[in-house]
Amino acid sequence: MALLRLPSRRAVLRAGLAAAGTTVLPDPGRAAAAELRFGLTPVFLTSDLELLARLKAYLERATGRPVRLVTRRTYQEITTLLVTGQLDAAWICGYPFAAYRSQLALVAVPVWKRRPLYQSYLIAAADRTASGLADLRGDAHAFSDPDSNSGWLVTAAELADMGTDPGRFFRQSFFTYGHRNVIRAVGAGLAMSGSVDGYVYEVMRETEAELVAATRIVRASDWLGFPPVACSVALAQAPETERLRRALAEMGDDADGRAVLAMLQLDGFSIEEPSLFDPIAALMHKVKGAAG
Amino acid sequence: MRTRAPLALKVPVVVAAFLVAVSLFTSEQVLTRLEEIQTRHLETLARVHLDGLATALVDAVLREDVWEVFDVLDRTRQGSPDLIATETIVTTQDGRVIAATDPRRVPSGAALPSEYQASPTDDLRIRVSEARAFAHRAIVYNGLPVGAIYARLDIAPLLAERQRVLDALVWTNVGLTILVVIAAWITVRRMLRPVQILAAHLEEGVAGPVGTIPEALVSRAGPEFRRLFLAFNTIACAYREREDLIRRLAEEEKLASLGRLASGMAHEINNPLGGLFNALDTLKRHGDRPFVRSDALSLIDRGLCGIRDIVRSALMTYRADRDGRLLDGSDLDDLRVLAGPELRRHGLTLSWRNGCDERVDLPASHVRQIALNLLLNACQAAPAGGAVEVTIEMAKGALTLRVDDSGPGLPSDAARILTAPAAVPHVGPGSGLGLWMTARLIADLSGRISVASSPLVGASVTVTLPLSQIGALPDVA
Repeated sequence: MALLRLPSRRAVLRAGLAAAGTTVLPDPGRAAAAELRFGLTPVFLTSDLELLARLKAYLERATGRPVRLVTRRTYQEITTLLVTGQLDAAWICGYPFAAYRSQLALVAVPVWKRRPLYQSYLIAAADRTASGLADLRGDAHAFSDPDSNSGWLVTAAELADMGTDPGRFFRQSFFTYGHRNVIRAVGAGLAMSGSVDGYVYEVMRETEAELVAATRIVRASDWLGFPPVACSVALAQAPETERLRRALAEMGDDADGRAVLAMLQLDGFSIEEPSLFDPIAALMHKVKGAAG
Repeated sequence: MRTRAPLALKVPVVVAAFLVAVSLFTSEQVLTRLEEIQTRHLETLARVHLDGLATALVDAVLREDVWEVFDVLDRTRQGSPDLIATETIVTTQDGRVIAATDPRRVPSGAALPSEYQASPTDDLRIRVSEARAFAHRAIVYNGLPVGAIYARLDIAPLLAERQRVLDALVWTNVGLTILVVIAAWITVRRMLRPVQILAAHLEEGVAGPVGTIPEALVSRAGPEFRRLFLAFNTIACAYREREDLIRRLAEEEKLASLGRLASGMAHEINNPLGGLFNALDTLKRHGDRPFVRSDALSLIDRGLCGIRDIVRSALMTYRADRDGRLLDGSDLDDLRVLAGPELRRHGLTLSWRNGCDERVDLPASHVRQIALNLLLNACQAAPAGGAVEVTIEMAKGALTLRVDDSGPGLPSDAARILTAPAAVPHVGPGSGLGLWMTARLIADLSGRISVASSPLVGASVTVTLPLSQIGALPDVA
């Protein structure tokens, strides 16, 4: 394990991340090495404690290891923990997966509406008539997370196509660190528009209809790779990863697993090629090119 | 005196006024105190609310993190439904809004709304008319102000509570006042009941015979009033005894006057008797001579006729007293005969005008007694050789009897006895008992009496008796 971690630590330094913000709590001894440390990003509806308990119970049973679910406020923290080997696997966004493509490997990709794909939505207050990004010029705009594909990258890439960037295009923009928060900010009027995960938006349409009803979709993006479960590339073929991959892929065969999927409104998990996230990588390059 | 309010009304009014004054004072005190408590409560609430927010917001304000500031405000609002803050605004040190609970009203980056502008010393401004208050607090980091929190507080519930307290006070006080006023009214009435009993008996005494207060009422009264009642009863008894005495004296006077009448009548009978005996003697001695006989018989006839008239009128007086029949015009004419001896004794001239020639709805005995008394009184008052005038008229449903004399006029004592029957004469012979009796008889017939000076120099006494008084006639001596 220690050997595996060393290059990961260097990766952190290379990324220039502040160590204080990313340290994980010390492991309670070596005995916990057998523990599966599974990270969750805010792409996921982390607010549901029952869902977390069910997911933990299912994964523990299916992998035969104790599972510790790790949640953090930002995508960046989870991504850093994952690439530095402090997590065994994590449910991250397609954007960090594309960004750390050389260091991360796919474990499984969720299947939503029978496809491992989702969209990014531009949303605005329900009473607005905007029909595209161009109509949102001068808005106060809410992004989800600077490392989110749907809650930042898609909109930023489209602005790059238009030859501009969020700082110039919007009067004001801010990050809410959660797709739900974007919907809250737009619903309350704190932001006039927002970039949000289409999957989260659709699920919340049922679970928090009132909140969603205060907003409307201005524009849905192309279908892009669903936020995947990834692991360090070093662990890609490890037996533990294989077990986790199987556990995820066979989730629909188990009652607890089905309950978790039902709560997440997912069909299941599938094994996909990393090329699924090439369109996201293209967006990333577009934004980087514009910035450069 | 009569226009002043009675005690049974005055005391409750004074009590009510006192209670209203007390309740106004206490209500004012309670409300002032409540306002103080509410203001303190509001200050505490505002301080707790703003202190909690300030602590939670320092970092976000330093970073001017719009979302985090809003998130804290939003969660705080949703977490405490009874929070009275209806709007909270967080600004930077230079007064730009970072976020507010209602971003649509107060968007991020805008200037602080003017209603929130406050002097730095004034932590809490209460606007009762708008049912809201404004509070603010600086956000301090490392001893330096980095921003501020402004809150608008809804004080409508506090005002409503104040109104409820006021309502409760008003209604309680109104209820209490009504209860106490009723209690005061009942108490005063109970306290005044002996006074009313006493007053009723006194009034009864003024109108007619004085009655004593029944023993049951005396024993029920409190000690003070029992003494008063007993004293009243003693006086009432003494008064009644005195009245009885007067009545007996009046009866005796009546008998005495009857005696005088009888002696007059005896004299009237005696005069012709002498003539009759002479005529009889003449008849015995010279009865064989026809012209002497016819002269004597004619003399006897006239004498007997005179005697018959006198006896008949005396009988009439007796019978009228006994029968209780209605008055006839001729009943009054008879009085001339009865008073004849008195008139002649004093050598008086009687002028008699009787306008009553029919039966009228008045008791014969009473009217005869009244007329006779007044006539005899006039005979006594008129000097020797004087004149007495009696006028009887029927007019406007009443019988009017006027007696004039050429005497020195009615003494004021006698006039008072006649016109004010309640006045009691000095007890003694010749002290106006006849007049007192007359006045009582007139009062019993609901008649009126007036005394004036007569064209004959002396007194003129006029009595007016309304007709149809038969039914209500009590037995009067």
